[in-house]
Amino acid sequence: MDKQGENMKLEEVYKQHEDLEIDFLLEAIYRLSGFDFRQYNRSSISRRIHNRMNINGIETVTGLLEKVIHEEHFLESLLNDFSINVTEMFRNPSFFKTFRKEVVPILRKYPEIRIWHAGCATGEEVYSMAILLEEEGLKDKAVIYATDMNEQVLEKARKGAFPIQKMQAYTKNYMLAGGNYAFSEYYKADDQYAYFHPSILENIIFAQHNLVTDQSFNEFHVIICRNVLIYFTADLQEQVQHLFYESLSPQGFLGLGDKETLRFSQVTEKYQEIAGNERIYQRV
Amino acid sequence: MENKWKFGIRPKITIGYIIIIVCLFASVIILNNQIRSLQQERNFLLQYNNKVETLTNNVEKFVMDMQAGQRGFVITGNEIYLEPYYKAAGEWQIEFKELYQLMADKPDQQQKLQVVRETTDLWIEEAGENAIRLKRDNDDAAIQQFYANDRGREYMQSIRNQFNDFRESEREIAQVRAEELDKQNNNLTGGLFGLLLTVSIIAIVISSQVSKSIVRTINDVTQTIKKIASNNGDLKERIHVNTNDEINELANATNDLLDNLDGREWLQTNLAEIVTKYQGVASIEALAKVFMSEIAKMTNSSSGAFYVREIEDNRNHFIKNASFADNNFEKDIGRESFRIGQGLIGQCVQEKQTFIFNEIPEDYRYISTGLGEVPPRSIFIVPILFEGDVIAVMELATMSEYSKLQQDLVKQIVETFGLSINSVIGRMEIIRLLNESRAMTEELQVQSEELQTQSEELQMQTEELTQINEQLEEKTKDAETKNKELEKIRKELEEKAEQLTLHSNYKSEFLANMSHELRTPLNSILILSEMLAENDQGRLTDEDAEFANVIHSSGEDLLSLINDILDLSKVEAGKLEVLFEEVNLSELPQHMEHVFSPIAQKKNLEFHIFKEDDVIDLFFTDEKRFQQILKNLLSNAFKFTEEGSVALTIKQIENQLQTEEMRAISKDWLEVTIADTGIGIPADKHELIFETFQQADGATVRKFGGTGLGLSICKQFARLLGGWITLQSEEGVGSVFKLVVPSLPNGLILDKHLNIDYSEVAVTQSSYEPSTAFVSDLARLDVQKQTVIEKDEVLVSLHDHTNVFQNKNILIVDDDYRNIYALKTALEKRGVNILVAKDGIECLDILQDNTEIDIVLMDIMMPNMDGYEAMYRIRNDLQLKELPVIALTAKAMKNDRDKCLEAGASDYISKPLNLDQLFSVLRVWLVS
Repeated sequence: MDKQGENMKLEEVYKQHEDLEIDFLLEAIYRLSGFDFRQYNRSSISRRIHNRMNINGIETVTGLLEKVIHEEHFLESLLNDFSINVTEMFRNPSFFKTFRKEVVPILRKYPEIRIWHAGCATGEEVYSMAILLEEEGLKDKAVIYATDMNEQVLEKARKGAFPIQKMQAYTKNYMLAGGNYAFSEYYKADDQYAYFHPSILENIIFAQHNLVTDQSFNEFHVIICRNVLIYFTADLQEQVQHLFYESLSPQGFLGLGDKETLRFSQVTEKYQEIAGNERIYQRV
Repeated sequence: MENKWKFGIRPKITIGYIIIIVCLFASVIILNNQIRSLQQERNFLLQYNNKVETLTNNVEKFVMDMQAGQRGFVITGNEIYLEPYYKAAGEWQIEFKELYQLMADKPDQQQKLQVVRETTDLWIEEAGENAIRLKRDNDDAAIQQFYANDRGREYMQSIRNQFNDFRESEREIAQVRAEELDKQNNNLTGGLFGLLLTVSIIAIVISSQVSKSIVRTINDVTQTIKKIASNNGDLKERIHVNTNDEINELANATNDLLDNLDGREWLQTNLAEIVTKYQGVASIEALAKVFMSEIAKMTNSSSGAFYVREIEDNRNHFIKNASFADNNFEKDIGRESFRIGQGLIGQCVQEKQTFIFNEIPEDYRYISTGLGEVPPRSIFIVPILFEGDVIAVMELATMSEYSKLQQDLVKQIVETFGLSINSVIGRMEIIRLLNESRAMTEELQVQSEELQTQSEELQMQTEELTQINEQLEEKTKDAETKNKELEKIRKELEEKAEQLTLHSNYKSEFLANMSHELRTPLNSILILSEMLAENDQGRLTDEDAEFANVIHSSGEDLLSLINDILDLSKVEAGKLEVLFEEVNLSELPQHMEHVFSPIAQKKNLEFHIFKEDDVIDLFFTDEKRFQQILKNLLSNAFKFTEEGSVALTIKQIENQLQTEEMRAISKDWLEVTIADTGIGIPADKHELIFETFQQADGATVRKFGGTGLGLSICKQFARLLGGWITLQSEEGVGSVFKLVVPSLPNGLILDKHLNIDYSEVAVTQSSYEPSTAFVSDLARLDVQKQTVIEKDEVLVSLHDHTNVFQNKNILIVDDDYRNIYALKTALEKRGVNILVAKDGIECLDILQDNTEIDIVLMDIMMPNMDGYEAMYRIRNDLQLKELPVIALTAKAMKNDRDKCLEAGASDYISKPLNLDQLFSVLRVWLVS
C-alpha cells in the first residue's frame, strides 16, 4: 500500500517534470519556427512527442529539445509529426451531400463566392469541394483559399496526386456525396497515384496560414475547417471560432468536422445550425 | 379618524326627522294652549256674566223683597210681613259683597255698586225702618205723612236705575271682551298657518342638506370606482371622502381592498418578473447574482448574501454564491461559507424556517454607505428548499423594515426558486457531462487520426525498412552475385531492347499489314471504277460514267485518307512531311464542284462556289493537305445539311485586315469559307468537335455516321499549313467554317508557336474514344484504332514498370459485340484475361463457377437480365460484396447512376468509353 502510494507519487512528480519539459519544447518550437503548439491538446502533443522519442530512441523530452535546438532539420521532422494530416476525399459524404443540397442553392445567388478551407492538409477535401462546385456550375465564380500551417502538406496538395490505394474509398464517398458524374472523369491513374485533372486546380489558392498565430485575411462566404479544432484546447478553440466568425460574411456558412460542435462556444448564438447533424452552421 | 366625531347617515336622517317632529309638537302644543286659554276665557266670560247677572238680580230682588215686606207690614201691621224683610235685609249685603268683589278689577263698576249700596242703605234707613217703626208705634199719621212725600219710592227708583246702569255697563264690558276673544281667535288661525309654513321650510332645508351630503360622497366614490375600472386595472387610484360617515367607511373599505389587490398584483408581477429574469441562466453563480439583485431591488434591501449547499465529505457546506450591497465600496460582503447550525443563518438552515429579526444583535455587521456605517433595522433570513431539503439560503438586510407584502413576496418566490436552482444545477451538470463527453469524443477522434497517421507512418517505415534491408542484402552480396546481377541486368536490357525492336517491328508490320489489307479492296474499287468511268463499250449513260468517276475519285480520297491516318502517327512523332509548292487556285472551284455537285444533287441541296476576283492565282501551300481540309469541311457540310444550301467562298484577306503576327508570316492570306444551313453545332461543343473522335453528341453519330476524325485532322493540317480554322455556328441555323492559310513559298519556319501546336496535337491524339469507332466508316476507324492502341501499348510498356493488368481476369457483361470487341482488344493488349457474358444471367453463371474474376464491367441495357438486377444479385444472392463491379452507363442520366449505386455498383463509367478513363478506373479497382 505504501509502496504503491510512493510509486504514484513518483509518477506524479515525473509527470510534472515532463509537463515542464514539454512547455520548454513547445516554447522553443514557437520561438524557432513560429509554429505555436502551446495551446494544442496536451495529451495528443505528448503522445506525438513520445512517438518521436521512441523512433529516435531518445530518453527524455529534454533530449528531444536539444536535438530540436542544435540539430539541423530535426525541427522540421518534428513539426511534421505534430501535424496530423488525416483526411479523405468527400470525408463524411453526407456533409458534402448536405452542402450540395442546402448551401449550394444559396451560394448560387452570389455573384462571387469565396471559400476558406482552413487546415486543408494534403488537400483531399479541397479537391472534393472544387469538384462539387464544378458539378454545380459554380466553379468559375468561386475562389477556394486552402490554407494549412504545414508548407510540406500544401506542396503535396498542389500536386493533386493521391495514393491509388485510397481511390476505392474515395469513389464510394464521391457517390455517397451525390456526385453527378463518374468519379473517374476527374483523374487519371498510374500504378501509384491518381492524378486529378489540373483544371480542378483552377481557382484554388493554396497558402500557408496558421490558425493559432495568424489573422483573418478576407471575408468569406464559406469557411470549412474540419477535424482541426479537436487538436486545440478549449481556449484556443474559442479563439479560432472568433477568428472564423470575424472572417465570415453575414449569412456565411461554417462547416466543421463531425465530432466538432459550436454548442459550447460563445459564438453559438450567432449561428444557426442548418440541416440536422452535419455541423454546417449559418451566421445569423 | 376613529377619534373624530362620527356623523353618520342614520343620525343625519334621524336628526332631520326629529327636528321636524319637534317643530310639529311645539306647534301643536302652542296651538293647544292658545285654544284652551281662548276657551277658558270664553267660559270665564260666560260664567262671570252669569254670576254678575245673578248677583245683580239677587241684590235687586232682595231690595224688592224688603220693599214688599215693609209695605205688607205697614199695611197690615202683621208681623209676618216683616220676616222676608229682615231676611232680605240680612242677605242682600252678602250677595252685594260678592258682586262687589267680582268687580274688583273694574273700579267704575264698583263705584256704581257703591252708589247702589248707599242708595239701598238710605232706603233702609229712611224708608224701611222708619215706616216699620212708625207702624209699630201706630203712628198712622206719620205714616200718612210719610207716604205723602214718600221718599222710599224715590230711592227705589234710583236703585233700579242704578242697577240698570250697572247692567248696561257690564253688558258693554262683556261686549268688548267678546270682541277681544274674536280677535284672539283670528290671531290664532294666522299663527297656525305661519307655523305650518315654518315647519315645512325647516323640513325641506333639512332633507335637502342631508340628501346632498349623502349623495355627494356616493358620487365621489362612484366616480373614483369608475376611474379605477376604466384605468385598465390601475390600482394605484384611491377614493378620497371628506365626510365621516358610512360612505367614508365604504371608501375606506374599498381603499383597503384596492391596497390588498395592489399588493397582490405587485406580488404577482414581481413573481412573474423574477421568474423571467432567471430563465435561461446557465450557471448557479449567474442565477444567484440575478436573483439577489432582483430580490434586493424588490425588497429595498441594502445588502444581502446568497449561499448554496455543497456537499463535501458527506457534510453540507453552504458556500456564498452571490452578494449584494447597494453601494460599490464593498462588493464582497458576508462570510464565505458556513455549516448547518452555525450562527443565525445556520440555525435557519437547521430549522428550515424563515427568520426575521427586527432587534439586531449587537455584533451584527453594519451596512456601510458612502459616508459611514449604518446598522440595519431588519434582517431577513430565508431558507430555500427543494424536496424538503435546504439547498440554499438567502440573507437580506434593510435599513427600513420588511413589510408583510415584501415578506410574502420573498416567501412565494423562494417556494419555486428551489426548483429553479435544482434545475440549473442539473443543467450545469448536464453541460459539464456534455463537455466531458465532447472532449472525450474529440480525444477519441484525435487518437484515431493519430493512430491512422502512425499506422501509415509504420507502413511507410516498414516499406522503407524492407527497401533498406533489400539494399543491404544486395550490398552484402559478393562480387559474383554482383556480376551475375550485372549480367542479368545486361540481359534484361538486351531483352528490353529486343522488345522495343519487336514492338517497333510489330508497329511497322501492323502498318504495312493494314495498309496492305485496306489497299487490296480499295485497289479493286479504284481499278474497277476507273474502268467503268472510261465507258469503252458506251453502255453507260454519261451520268453513270460520271458516278463511276466519283466512285473512283472518292476511292482515291479514301486511299489518301488512309495514308493521312497513317501519317497521323507521323504527326505525333513530328514526322509528317508538308510539301509547300505552287498551287493554282483558279482550278480549285471546278475541282470542288466536280467532286461535290453529285452529292448536292442527290441531297437536293444548292451548292454555290464564289471566288473573288482579286484572289491571286499562284499560292504556295501543301496542295494535298489544303484540298483535304476543304473536302473534309465540305463533306461535313453536306453530311449535316438536310435542306438549303452549302456555299464555298474563296477570298484573299486584305493587307490592312491582317494582324501584325500574320503579316510577319506572310503577306498573302487566303480565307476559305464553307457555310451551310445544316443542323448547326451548339456553342458549348464548338471546342469539342475539333477534338479527335468527337461530334456534337451521341445522337449525331447515330443519325449521320462519321468518325469525328475529320475536323481534328483539318485542324491539325491547318496548323501544319501555318493557319487555322474557326467556327461560327448556331444550332438549327447552320455552321460557317473558315479556313485561313498563308501563302508560304519557303515553307513554314518552325518557331515556338508551331512547336506548341505540335505538342497540343500530341495531347489531343492521346485522348480518344474507341467505342464510337464501330458505328460506321469501319475501315477508317479500325485503322485509327489499331494505330493508337499500338502506340498506347508501346507507351504502356515503356512507362509501367509493373503491369497491374497482367493476368487479371475481367468479366465483360455486354450484349453488343462491337463493345465487347473494342474492350477485349484494348484490354487483352495489356495482358488481361477476358471473359464475356451476353447478359446478366450468363454473368451470374460465370461468377458462380469462377472465383478468380478480378473485375466485372457491367453494361446496363441488356436483354433477359439487365445490369441493375445482375449487380443486385451479385451483391445479395452470390454475396460477393467486395467484388469490384463497374457499371457502364449512359452519360447524361443521373438517375441511372443513382440506380447503379443502389444496385451495388462499385463505380461507374460513362459511355462512350474513354480508354484512358477506363484504364484509370481499372487501376483503381485492381489495386489491392
